[in-house]
Amino acid sequence: MSLSESTSRRRKKRANGVEFTAKEFKRQWILIAIAAVYVIYGIIFYYLPLAGWIMAFQNYKYKTGITGSKFVGLAKFQFLFSDAKFLQVIRNTFCMGALNLIFSTVMAIVFAILLNEIKNIWGKKIVQTISYLPHFLSWIVVCGLVHDALSSTGIINELLVKFGIIDSPFQFFASKPWFWPLVVLTNLWKETGWNAIIYLAAITSIDPALYESASIDGAGRFQKMWYVTLPSIRPTIMILLLMNIGNVLNAGFELQYILGNGVIQSVSRTIDIYVLDWAINGRNMDFSLGTAAGIFKTLVALILIVAGNTIAKKTGDERLF
Amino acid sequence: MKKKLFSVVMASLMAVSAFAACTGKDDTEFTADTAPQPDTTNAEGEEIYSQEAILDMKMFAAMAGTEINSGNKIQELIAEKTGVRLKETWLAGQQAGEAIGAIIASGDLPDLIDGGDGSVTLYENDLLVAWDPYLDMYPNLKEMYSDEEWDKFRMDDGHIYWANVFGNHYKGVDTSTGHNGEAFWIQCRVLEWAGYPEIKTLDQYFELLENYYNEFKTMPDGETALIPYTALCDGWKYYCLENPPMFLDGYPNDGCCIVNVDDPANPKVVDYNTTDTAKAYFKKLNEEWNKGMINPDFAIQTYDEYISMLSTGRVLGLCDQYWDFAYSLAGPFAQPLDSLDGKRLDEIGCDYVPLGLTIADGMTQQWHSYGDELNQSSGVAVTTSCKDPNAAFKFLSDLLEQDVHDLRFWGIEGEDYLVDENGLYYRTEEMRQLWKDDDYKKDHICSYGYCPQWLGISRDGKNAMMPSEQTSEFYAGLAAPLAACFQAYGAKTYADMVGSLECDQYPWYPLWSWSNNLGNDTDGGVAWANMGECKHEWLPKVVMSKNFDSDWDAYQKAYNDCKPEDFLKEAQDEVNARLETARANGYEG
Repeated sequence: MSLSESTSRRRKKRANGVEFTAKEFKRQWILIAIAAVYVIYGIIFYYLPLAGWIMAFQNYKYKTGITGSKFVGLAKFQFLFSDAKFLQVIRNTFCMGALNLIFSTVMAIVFAILLNEIKNIWGKKIVQTISYLPHFLSWIVVCGLVHDALSSTGIINELLVKFGIIDSPFQFFASKPWFWPLVVLTNLWKETGWNAIIYLAAITSIDPALYESASIDGAGRFQKMWYVTLPSIRPTIMILLLMNIGNVLNAGFELQYILGNGVIQSVSRTIDIYVLDWAINGRNMDFSLGTAAGIFKTLVALILIVAGNTIAKKTGDERLF
Repeated sequence: MKKKLFSVVMASLMAVSAFAACTGKDDTEFTADTAPQPDTTNAEGEEIYSQEAILDMKMFAAMAGTEINSGNKIQELIAEKTGVRLKETWLAGQQAGEAIGAIIASGDLPDLIDGGDGSVTLYENDLLVAWDPYLDMYPNLKEMYSDEEWDKFRMDDGHIYWANVFGNHYKGVDTSTGHNGEAFWIQCRVLEWAGYPEIKTLDQYFELLENYYNEFKTMPDGETALIPYTALCDGWKYYCLENPPMFLDGYPNDGCCIVNVDDPANPKVVDYNTTDTAKAYFKKLNEEWNKGMINPDFAIQTYDEYISMLSTGRVLGLCDQYWDFAYSLAGPFAQPLDSLDGKRLDEIGCDYVPLGLTIADGMTQQWHSYGDELNQSSGVAVTTSCKDPNAAFKFLSDLLEQDVHDLRFWGIEGEDYLVDENGLYYRTEEMRQLWKDDDYKKDHICSYGYCPQWLGISRDGKNAMMPSEQTSEFYAGLAAPLAACFQAYGAKTYADMVGSLECDQYPWYPLWSWSNNLGNDTDGGVAWANMGECKHEWLPKVVMSKNFDSDWDAYQKAYNDCKPEDFLKEAQDEVNARLETARANGYEG
């Protein structure tokens, strides 16, 4: 995988201990110039905006701007953590994010392995293409489809009523216990095919000799999947898990924003929607609170990634840094 | 995360730069003479603006609406007469506050704006141009309100930043035929089928809907199922479900609470969410829900879905304010349908008539409010991004000139209306149908509906400012079943159908012009936000409940946790303050 390659290359470089001298600079200046573009890009778009974090410690007003707004220390954070609604949205975001991470990873792996077992090349291609197409749909379209399919006159309710499983249409979007599973299922429908591509690629690179020797040892199909395929793609799984764990708090915005409604808002609202409510909506225009919530999300993501990486290090698995 | 943060930061950077840009402005004195003037003449010799002289301006209204096509015929005519071509854009899939917040954060403001409940946010961020100097320059604008009324628009800095454009009768002459406010609406075919009975209470209303539904079940095509009743719950428009307890108790639309005037000198604010009437109303809805009489998707429907459902004519009854649904139905109801063998929905009696219901028989009610209500909480405003505010105010003023006003609402003489020997405007049936046609509206009609406008009798003393208020046009425009219904009840107007008590408005009315602008900066404002959220969650839930009484108790408990008393206290203070001001101005009561 490109990622593990690049990390190993970095390690090698450090081991070689190339001194940064004028001569070395002259030799590599073209490469450095090319890299510089990306470094500058990163500084402008990822690091300069961090200056805006100042707002979290101010009572920022649009009228007075950053220079003229009053500093209030940690008051905005205090407000956040004493707001029952914020604690509620943390719970919602974390739970939906974790469920998404677990189910999307497991399903993508299972799907990739199953797809790999299809021997008919045409069948395999068709299934793969169909399964990753939804990835290219916008969330607005997907939400519209889900909303229609699950409405009282939608196909799901029609089928359930026709087969006598329920006697009157069920209100999926007015039921709190159903919201998180629906978010997970919608995510699975949209992204499983896409996520499986990377695992499929990993599976393709497994040495066929391993399967042959497993066959000679008398392994069946499922044993080969369990003892050859899975351990071989384990480094890929670990790296992707580590990268995605930082995204747990990015449980989504569009999906919850569009499918949520007044009845279920206590389980549907995520941190992003909370930020929107405070920073943009209505008379509050409290960019400070929005920024504070954003900082909180970044810190949690950082902690999760470092913790995940440390665990990976301890267990001797592939890791990010 | 990074993306989110980035956008917040960029937004703030833009905010800073926008701020820097507007601090430089100084208050140059404008006069009417410095505004652009016509530079050419047309074939009839009238002075007009040439294409080069016409200014293009933009307006955003924080309301759902339809954009008209560029090259719209009447828009071009108005541009020649006024020198401004206004491109209107509307709210799409967002709440007003969100849209205004996003516009402010982006720093990209239109020239004109109606911020809805985001108006105060615009003012607080110094983004609006004060009207005061221009009011003296443009008598057409000044004429819209009396000095006392204009004072109500003044913000805490003493200036006027917007003017509400609706519900304002020219010279105070009320000719209205409509009922723009809230009511329980019912399709006139239902009343016709039942022999036009007197429907006075909520129970009678639902009994009639049930009977009709059980008799027919479907539309005349035999397939499309009827829906006896629906209530909209999308965003702030959940008032359709939420506020009827106020009206059912006989009170007018103060919006956020009842103001009890048993002792007229001492009006008392009462919470309508906790009254016995509220419980009885929701219990009734719950009963009807469990009988399958209510649209199963009412709790999760968006406004667009609601309108498209109503457009099919399937819904027999609903509670809403006229302006929120009726204009959108005019087009679809006037379309000949294959499923009805070429008939139109208004021909088979799908038009809605308003009923002024109460919770018990023999009560008076005030669903319809007589006289103009002044809503000072929002209106049309000129932003600091407008390069030539003087031209913008001149344009707003020109829109009130009688010839331009006629163009906006009547259309082009000879094409959209005719004039009889007495000088009265009228339309042929063909013209009326065209004005309901959605494509024709986009290509031909340009009413600038959120800019200043008049109701009542126009300056010629004969014709109404709006066709819908022209008595002859109003009757001629009614589909046969609707006209028959009006006749059966002896009603001349929609207001007669509602049959509200005719009484003077109290000086604090309507109180929603206060509650609409509550922020999070007071305890009452916080309570108001929490109450709204609580009701959003619980009201649909109690309607759909299998066990109403226990759910109602749980709802009341959750509601009381929001500290409604904080809100009610501030509402009481506002009523007292408005009463004081009125008394200082000579109000006796």
